[in-house]
Amino acid sequence: MEKQEQQFKKDWKLSAVFVVTGLFIGALLTVQFQSSIPSSTFLSDELRAQKDLIDGYVDDQGLLKSKIIGLRTEISEAQERAEASIQSANLETLKALKEEIGLTSLRGPGVEIVIDDGIFVNRDNPDTVSQSLVHASDLRDIVNILRTARVQAISINGQRVIATTSISSVGNTILVNNFHLLPPFTVSALGDPEVVMQRLNDPTALPDLAKRTKDLNIQFMAQSKEGILIPEYSGNLSSQYISEVDVTNQ
Amino acid sequence: MNQLHNIKKREVSMLLTAVLLGFLIVLQARSFEDVSDVINRNNRSDVFREIQILKDTNDQLRDEIDDLEDQLVKVSNNQDALESVREEIDQYEALTGKIDVSGPGVHVQISGDIQALWLTDMVNELLSAGAEAVSVNSIRLTNKTTGFDTIPSGQIMVNSVILNEPYTIEAIGERAVLENALIQSEGIIERLQRSVNGVEVVVEQRDVVTMEKVL
Repeated sequence: MEKQEQQFKKDWKLSAVFVVTGLFIGALLTVQFQSSIPSSTFLSDELRAQKDLIDGYVDDQGLLKSKIIGLRTEISEAQERAEASIQSANLETLKALKEEIGLTSLRGPGVEIVIDDGIFVNRDNPDTVSQSLVHASDLRDIVNILRTARVQAISINGQRVIATTSISSVGNTILVNNFHLLPPFTVSALGDPEVVMQRLNDPTALPDLAKRTKDLNIQFMAQSKEGILIPEYSGNLSSQYISEVDVTNQ
Repeated sequence: MNQLHNIKKREVSMLLTAVLLGFLIVLQARSFEDVSDVINRNNRSDVFREIQILKDTNDQLRDEIDDLEDQLVKVSNNQDALESVREEIDQYEALTGKIDVSGPGVHVQISGDIQALWLTDMVNELLSAGAEAVSVNSIRLTNKTTGFDTIPSGQIMVNSVILNEPYTIEAIGERAVLENALIQSEGIIERLQRSVNGVEVVVEQRDVVTMEKVL
């Protein structure tokens, strides 16, 4: 009888342990599902409509970009034809300035970096927040390091990076010069390949990216190349707020 | 014998529960780590903002096309060609830092020990908000400026010049838009202050910000 009572107490204790453990697991599961960022409140057809709208804008961007490049080329050709009235000194100054701003394509030796998301991560889901994705901050860090290596010109997926280029993100969408870019990201830089590779291989240069490449399968590859083509800038250049300081008022 | 079998079953169940528990704890910790690190340097998903940026960009590109079409007409006319080229030279000299420039904008002062990446991010935020010219500690950032380098002592260097604290960032553009881009909720300043303890950031709109030409 006493033995039975002891066995009953033992079983009861064990059950209590299981109940407490179960509750704890339940609580953890709840927190886990809540922390994985709330799922979208949009219906799937609304999401599709948004995607179509974005795709429409992106297609328009492509067309507008080509038109801008075409017009700039036409203007340069018209300027060459009007050399007599423009004066060749002005034309030379203009050419040099255009090259400095990034309005001419360049080709030469340099380094090409290809960086891509981890294999098991889905960028298309707007709610995915993961260190296995390539972020705008990664591209900013790479561009910054390339600039410390004094490269002559940089482009990301064919978008020329100039002094006023912004590399931002809205969720998992990366915008360079406010143009949509999709992975893999190819960062091309014109400059001394040896200096650039040395800078990129410095473990203190891109510590966060190096760690994530090692731990989370972000794909990062840099190699020197001979004939790297950096296209011309195809975005907006007009300025509304900047003006020359009037020296007479100083 | 039967009791022994029961005890073994219980132990196995307990072990499996513990393993599951451990797995969940690690998963939970990692998901928090993921969220905090990524959020601090990158904006959260906002499809409406994305659409707005795309729409604004396309509008700007259409304006640029209108300007370029006008310029093409001018340059094709012998009488206006010289004036058009001079205007273009003036515009490019302002953009490349060949001349002193001024305009409305913002003045940002950052006091605290921050890494170079925060300067990169702060400048980027201003450019993203439409800044037409940016300087850091009075050094105008142009296509020829080097990146923000960190020297072994931990100091930040640009164009071989060591930047001393407090860091001053100035930008020319639409004042309210620039200021708002920085101070908005979940914006760069909030994220910086969450990541680095004790950093003080003061943002002021200015009627006139002046930037010296790059030597």
